[in-house]
Amino acid sequence: MTVLVPLVVLLPLLGAAVALTQAKHPRLQTFIAVGVLGVVLIIGVILLFAVDDHGAIAVAIGGWDAPVGIVLVVDRLAALLLVISAAVLLSVLVFSVGQGLADGDRETPVSIYYPTYLILATGVFNAFLAGDLFNLYVSFEILLVASYVLITVGGTELRIRAGVTYIVVSLVSSVIFLAAIAMIYASVGTVNIAQLAVRIGELPHDIQLVLHVMLLVAFGIKAAVFPLSFWLPDSYPTAPAPVTAVFAGLLTKVGVYAIMRTEMIMFPGNELNTPIMIVAALTMIVGILGAVAQADIKRLLSFTLVSHIGYMLFGIGLGTAAGLAAATYYVVHHITVQTTLFLAAGLVERQGGTTSINRLGGMLKASPMIGVLFFIPLLSLGGIPPFSGFLGKLALFEAGAQDGSVLAWVLIASGALVSLLTLYALARAWSMTFWRDADEVADYDNPLPVLSQVGVVTEVKSTRSIPRIMVGATAAMVALSISLTVFAGPLYNVSSRAGDNIDGPEYYITLVVTGESE
Amino acid sequence: MLAFLVVFALVPLVVPALTRRLGRRVFPVIALIPAAAFVFTLTQTPKILAGSAPTEVIPWIPQLEMSFAVRVDTLSWLLALIVTGIGALVLVYCAWYFTDAEEGLGRFASVLLAFTGTMYGLVIADDVFLLFIFWEATSVFSYLLIGHYTGRRASRVAALQALIVTTAGGLVMLVGLVMLAVPAGTSRLSDLVAMAQDGRLDLAAPLVTTAVILVLVGALSKSAIIPFHFWLPAAMAAPTPVSAYLHAAAMVQAGIYLVARLAPGFSATPGWHPLLLGLGLATMLVGGWRALRQNDLKLLLAYGTVSQLGFLIVVTGFGTRTAALAGVALLLAHALFKAALFLVVGIIDHRAGTRDLRKLSGLGREAPVLAIVGMLSVLSMAGVPFTAGFVAKEAVLAGFLGAAQGAGGAGPGSAAGWIALVGVALGSTLTVAYSARFLWGAFARKKGVEKVRPVHESVSFLAAPAILAVSGIVLAPLFRLVGDLLAGYPNRFPPDAHDYHLGLWHGFDGALLVSTFTLLAGLTLFWARTSVSTAQAKLPPIVNTSELYGRTMTGLDRLAARVTSATQRGSLPFYLSIILLTLVGTVGATLVMNRTWPAEWRLWDSPAQLVIGGIMAVAAVALTRADKRFAAALLVGVTGYGMAALFAFHGAPDLALTQVLVETVTLIAFVLVLRRLPARLGQTHGSAHRGVRAVVSVSVGLMMAAVAIVALGARTHLPISLALPDLAHDVGHGSNVVNVVLVDVRGWDTLGELSVLIAAATGVASLVFLRSRTDNLPRVPDAVRRSLRSRLRPVRETVSAEYVPGVKDPSTRNAWLLAGLKLAPENRSILLEVVIRLLFHAVVVVSVFILFAGHNSPGGGFAGGLVAGLALAGRYLAGGRYELGAAAPVDAGRLLGVGLLLAAGTAVTPLFFGAHALTSAWFDATIPVLGHIEFTTSTIFDVGVYLVVIGMVLDVLRSLGAEVDRQQEEASDELEEGSTI
Repeated sequence: MTVLVPLVVLLPLLGAAVALTQAKHPRLQTFIAVGVLGVVLIIGVILLFAVDDHGAIAVAIGGWDAPVGIVLVVDRLAALLLVISAAVLLSVLVFSVGQGLADGDRETPVSIYYPTYLILATGVFNAFLAGDLFNLYVSFEILLVASYVLITVGGTELRIRAGVTYIVVSLVSSVIFLAAIAMIYASVGTVNIAQLAVRIGELPHDIQLVLHVMLLVAFGIKAAVFPLSFWLPDSYPTAPAPVTAVFAGLLTKVGVYAIMRTEMIMFPGNELNTPIMIVAALTMIVGILGAVAQADIKRLLSFTLVSHIGYMLFGIGLGTAAGLAAATYYVVHHITVQTTLFLAAGLVERQGGTTSINRLGGMLKASPMIGVLFFIPLLSLGGIPPFSGFLGKLALFEAGAQDGSVLAWVLIASGALVSLLTLYALARAWSMTFWRDADEVADYDNPLPVLSQVGVVTEVKSTRSIPRIMVGATAAMVALSISLTVFAGPLYNVSSRAGDNIDGPEYYITLVVTGESE
Repeated sequence: MLAFLVVFALVPLVVPALTRRLGRRVFPVIALIPAAAFVFTLTQTPKILAGSAPTEVIPWIPQLEMSFAVRVDTLSWLLALIVTGIGALVLVYCAWYFTDAEEGLGRFASVLLAFTGTMYGLVIADDVFLLFIFWEATSVFSYLLIGHYTGRRASRVAALQALIVTTAGGLVMLVGLVMLAVPAGTSRLSDLVAMAQDGRLDLAAPLVTTAVILVLVGALSKSAIIPFHFWLPAAMAAPTPVSAYLHAAAMVQAGIYLVARLAPGFSATPGWHPLLLGLGLATMLVGGWRALRQNDLKLLLAYGTVSQLGFLIVVTGFGTRTAALAGVALLLAHALFKAALFLVVGIIDHRAGTRDLRKLSGLGREAPVLAIVGMLSVLSMAGVPFTAGFVAKEAVLAGFLGAAQGAGGAGPGSAAGWIALVGVALGSTLTVAYSARFLWGAFARKKGVEKVRPVHESVSFLAAPAILAVSGIVLAPLFRLVGDLLAGYPNRFPPDAHDYHLGLWHGFDGALLVSTFTLLAGLTLFWARTSVSTAQAKLPPIVNTSELYGRTMTGLDRLAARVTSATQRGSLPFYLSIILLTLVGTVGATLVMNRTWPAEWRLWDSPAQLVIGGIMAVAAVALTRADKRFAAALLVGVTGYGMAALFAFHGAPDLALTQVLVETVTLIAFVLVLRRLPARLGQTHGSAHRGVRAVVSVSVGLMMAAVAIVALGARTHLPISLALPDLAHDVGHGSNVVNVVLVDVRGWDTLGELSVLIAAATGVASLVFLRSRTDNLPRVPDAVRRSLRSRLRPVRETVSAEYVPGVKDPSTRNAWLLAGLKLAPENRSILLEVVIRLLFHAVVVVSVFILFAGHNSPGGGFAGGLVAGLALAGRYLAGGRYELGAAAPVDAGRLLGVGLLLAAGTAVTPLFFGAHALTSAWFDATIPVLGHIEFTTSTIFDVGVYLVVIGMVLDVLRSLGAEVDRQQEEASDELEEGSTI
């Protein structure tokens, strides 16, 4: 098993290398990119089963044992996120292959897109595996720099402007993260996460708090937590559909994952649970109000993305095994469903030529298939049973009820409200886009407040034929999201054991220091 | 039972395809499924009678207490029969209601079938969360069915409204269910009720009370009770079969079902009775009152349904044995007559082309069978003797009378009994009145209204309503039997004073008296309809929550817009300020609370640090004041070189070297970019913003300094890096610690950073070339290389001050650089060309030396790559893009790729030998002439680094340099062409 762990990172890197050297053979590049991610997905599944059965795995890179060298750690949480992100990356890649074939590479220029996409994947995978705080920083850099390239692909004025916001904010967060690492290293002299877990506990309480908060602010920007989230809806929606889809699905979740690791391993003790939960409620509510005010599907989805980060924080803020299990399940659900919705929005954009609900209409008649592919993830995100969004929400509510504090009940109430508003915003968009007749659009006057009319004006040429590959990839994502319900039992088992697992750093320390798991 | 649910879940998936083949004939086919479920439920009757409750449980998510648990007791049995039976009939009816040409027929059939299954699941679910799943699913299907006529705006609005209202209620209920189930430790509905019944759940505990109230809110919203009632009439935008099934017989009864389900255990909860009795009666009266005003038969029925639902809530929530018995009887009767009536209205609509009772005249004579079916149902609705409605109403009145007289057992008491009795009597009066109005409106001949000429329709169309209407009558005399069948449910309540049985005749008792009164009063109201409607027109609408809903939604939209415009300013400085202020606010707060400040502060190691730090700080401050881009770039450079100096003073020559090289390359890149930008930085913000930004920056700086002081002051352990020199030498076989760390100990980080470099280089290329990174540098054509003459032809560049044709070409002197001749003579500097020509190869050799020496002395792949990159930069600066093409005949992308391949390959290879990734191997040998040679595989890794760095510099040069030159040239060519025309 230990052989497989570094391969998860090395394969996409090698793939990127080969893709770079074969710039003139787009078919080969496509083949390599798809192949590499496919293999990583398989490895991920194998690791998930192995880790779930036999306990977590720690691998010392270069044979340099911790704390001097870098360790990669695969536990249930990491393996689960590895599998789901590999699946998402693969589907989105296939989607963009379809789009590239149809567009003649206008949106996804092969020689830039594939290597960069694989580097992004490398960063995401490495972030989940990193057992070393500085290596986690490097992972962030990898995925961020790759994302800078992808968000500005095509270099249109809108994308450059959005890209500047995105890049500058990301750089600021990286600087804060790096500074926090420096401060942590200054006081405890190590960056190995397991050793940090031991040594940070020996620091005076007040100083722990300083370092803890600084780290959380850095991760909070990446995870788009209120009030550090305003940049996101201004930067994501302008990118090409597959890019936005993968960003929405994965990048913020890497931040959430880092917060989970921070809270559970490095700074256990639930000290900041109350502020985290308050921030969770604010993230949910302010985020969803943004979604309600949008008339552009992609922007709307960016706001639901921010809003639902609040649910995950809620689980983390509870600080119990049940809360973590719920948050874990919610992360998996949200990666899948949010990506699927963005892909479906990409299909809508191709079919209708825009994503503004003011100007879309008659989509259900034009393409019932897209209707289905949009409607199912819509229900899931809106928390309608039996889809995964409901199960995640229910798990959070139950975990909150077990906690039983007033704050937990407030969070449950906000969760219910936000779920309703998500459904409201999305169902309204659905009704306008899919149900309304196309001929109603011309003389339509939006009753929404003025703000919502300011959308992202992306005019894509409307095409009547949608490549089968794009529809197929989206359908695969929908199927994946449904399987989160069908296999909710075993999946929740793993999440639950992952929750038990990360509820306290002891197992992690033992694993990294002695190599023994559970 | 679960098997049926699976069938119900899967078959709808193929129904659209089936509909394409069968058209509307698909309906009778799919009706077989609910019919089968109906028959199956009938076969369970003996078990139900025996008092057992067939149960099936399949675990699903044990951690969440979630399982597929279904259980059929008396109540579930009755409702299962209702929803499957009526479901099957309505599906059959659809075959005549729709034409093959109906748009979205497949979708409709599929959704309606799925809905039927969902209802079946809802009434048999024994897990509260499973119940909730079905509960919300009905909301979604209802949304889809109400919105069936997608092209109509009213349809869409009604659908969304119904969805939002019922989902809102549903979510409130979910919170209640969680609140109830989690502390109780079970999610089984039967267990929860049992626990409440035998006192294991303390109903007066605030948590339980709140939970029950929240669940009731969900039930009330589903059953369209005030204040949620408005969605139901609006939902009449749906096709009539949907109204008959969802909005009369099935979905809206879900709330009633839930109340009935909970009542045996929870009716003693504080707040239960006031809530249900108050809202139920209000709904019954308001619904009835408004039904009297409707001219659309369907709307009349809709308001009638609202009224009846209120009635049902009052009865089922009452919590005595007799009321419970009456409740189930009423539930059955209502489902039968109301579904039948809706179906009748559907037929009227089809045959007469209108549902407006002001336009219908003489239909009764033209369509006598239809009229009879309608009349039978109306009689039951009005509670006229010898109908099911009458039997049920008698039981209700008897139950309330009993309670009022103090015989209610554990019920809500005498006062509640009186209130319920009076309210229900008034409500029934209204019911009688609107029943009469319906009958008259639909079938009577009216003076001055043209008689309708009904279209002929197949008799089978009438089958479904006829069956329902007739069973409403046939069941009436059998109701004693029905009562015994249903006894399992009411018997769960404590017995009351007298043992009431359903029946047509109980003698001349109080109930009959009230019944007679309501009939007479209702008929009077009907006869006086003109004056009643005048009175109604004068009164303002009593409860108008529909408007409240509208206002809430508008308010929500406004609030959303306001909050969003306050936060999403679209301004990067604003976002950054918020982020930095959050950082200062939170970390600052922890600093303020911090009590462990270091005792002694060591501010610097040597005064030189202070000087360098001071210079860097001054440069940074000056940077904020710089108004020229070039100056700003230089000032940034100052901080960078200052950093290098700090490294050097700290005893890290390697880092210093690398930092200087990086700084130099960066500066070159800056200069290349700045050529295309206006010299001055834009000043878009006023001085006020400057002030704010200054405060933010200063406080971030101070905070960072404070954190550093605190963190360093609290040092508990020495850094692990202290062990590195020995490790590097003994294990890594290198005396340059930095290099060993980079390529070996933390090679994994380096590998990651390599991909960062590559992505960055690709990004630059992507922005400049837009499509592809393969756009290669221009090459001097081979012909040029061969023939001296063509070498002498200069290439014009726009950067040249002026190109004057005809002036003697000065470029006859020898070419030092291959592509130098491609430059306009004004742009050439012979001195630069000579120097570069002489230095280039030497520098490249030095770079290779730095690369290989790096393992033991300062240097390494990174520094070496930068040196080589600088050599290339020199060639470009001296000779332009053709020169760059000549100097680096390799594609930058390929260079990057090969470099990464080497580095990642070094990491992968050990895996084949069973070692950890990136493990280095060390060889040494003594070779003649060369002497003792040591080699570690990490050097290959370093070569990869070297190549990637060169590739990156080359990418920057060719995109920001060469490509920008080319674009500029093109632009000025176009300009010139324009001017000559």
